[in-house]
Amino acid sequence: MGEREPATDLPGTPFTAYRELVRPEWLDYNDHLNDASYAIALTTAHELVLESLGLSAEYRASHGASMFTVEMHLRYVAEVAGGQTLTAATTLVEADHKRLRLHSELYADGVLAATGECLYVHVDTVGGRTAPFPADRQARVDAMRAAHAGLPRPAHLGLGAGARP
Amino acid sequence: MNERITTPYEGRPAVWDETAEIEAPLRLHRSTAPPEWMDYNDHMSESCFLLAFGDNADAFFRFLGVDEAYRAGGHSLYTSETHLHHRHEVALGDPLEMSLQLLDHDRRRLHIFHEMRKGGSGVLLASAEQLLVHVDTRAGRSADLPTHLLERLDAIAATHAALPTPDVVGRPMGIRH
Repeated sequence: MGEREPATDLPGTPFTAYRELVRPEWLDYNDHLNDASYAIALTTAHELVLESLGLSAEYRASHGASMFTVEMHLRYVAEVAGGQTLTAATTLVEADHKRLRLHSELYADGVLAATGECLYVHVDTVGGRTAPFPADRQARVDAMRAAHAGLPRPAHLGLGAGARP
Repeated sequence: MNERITTPYEGRPAVWDETAEIEAPLRLHRSTAPPEWMDYNDHMSESCFLLAFGDNADAFFRFLGVDEAYRAGGHSLYTSETHLHHRHEVALGDPLEMSLQLLDHDRRRLHIFHEMRKGGSGVLLASAEQLLVHVDTRAGRSADLPTHLLERLDAIAATHAALPTPDVVGRPMGIRH
């Protein structure tokens, strides 16, 4: 996939490019979406955001650098069945010169099924250590951060596991 | 028939031995990172860490007494939250040793902590903090644990009380400056 201009969605709206039908192999014995499969949807949705920032798999190949997931925090809200359509609304919550934090609401047929937060760090895969974003990627990150600055933040952001707003 | 996600313990009945000593933490599951868990770069995919922790959770469920027969009775344990910390990448064929600590529980909730370490070196690869809730699967809502499971959880908690609380427990995600 080719590189895109920064922030494919309108300024001031979450990133919503992800849309996918629940696959049969994501279900468990009970025909419900398995815990781990929510993470597949979340990482796929976030990969689209990273792609729009020019920080996807293609970037890894061309620049010898990549985004490494440091933390992932999933809050399961509802069961999801086979045949449902998953969508996501993603906000860039914060960023600095080498780190990004994304939050997504995951929906199944339009009903909130889970929320997921990920913290990523930019890594020089050749040197095997964290590294600052190149200037052009930093500009894209800053542009999305500015576009998302006014979006509402969910009450559970910044809370540890088990804590309730 | 499509392949469903299964765990290595599916179909294995739970057996609780009242006289057995309870490990702290529990070491119920070990495995080897399989080819189907690798990404294009031969490192373990993010979602597959959750499969590995899921297998460890299932081993714990069967240790505790939650198996197919228990679920057929209309109750189960559902995950309400998972907070993963990734420390090191996992490569194809890495031996994985899992541990599980019971941090806290009440009448219908469990707070657990998993660690995944590399076999041999013992290097911490990843951890998972999880909240589980006991549910009435027919009514679709949370329900109190039965007495026999509460007694077992109390016995596990008594031995796990001596373990230190891992530093990441309860810690919110964020960019620290």
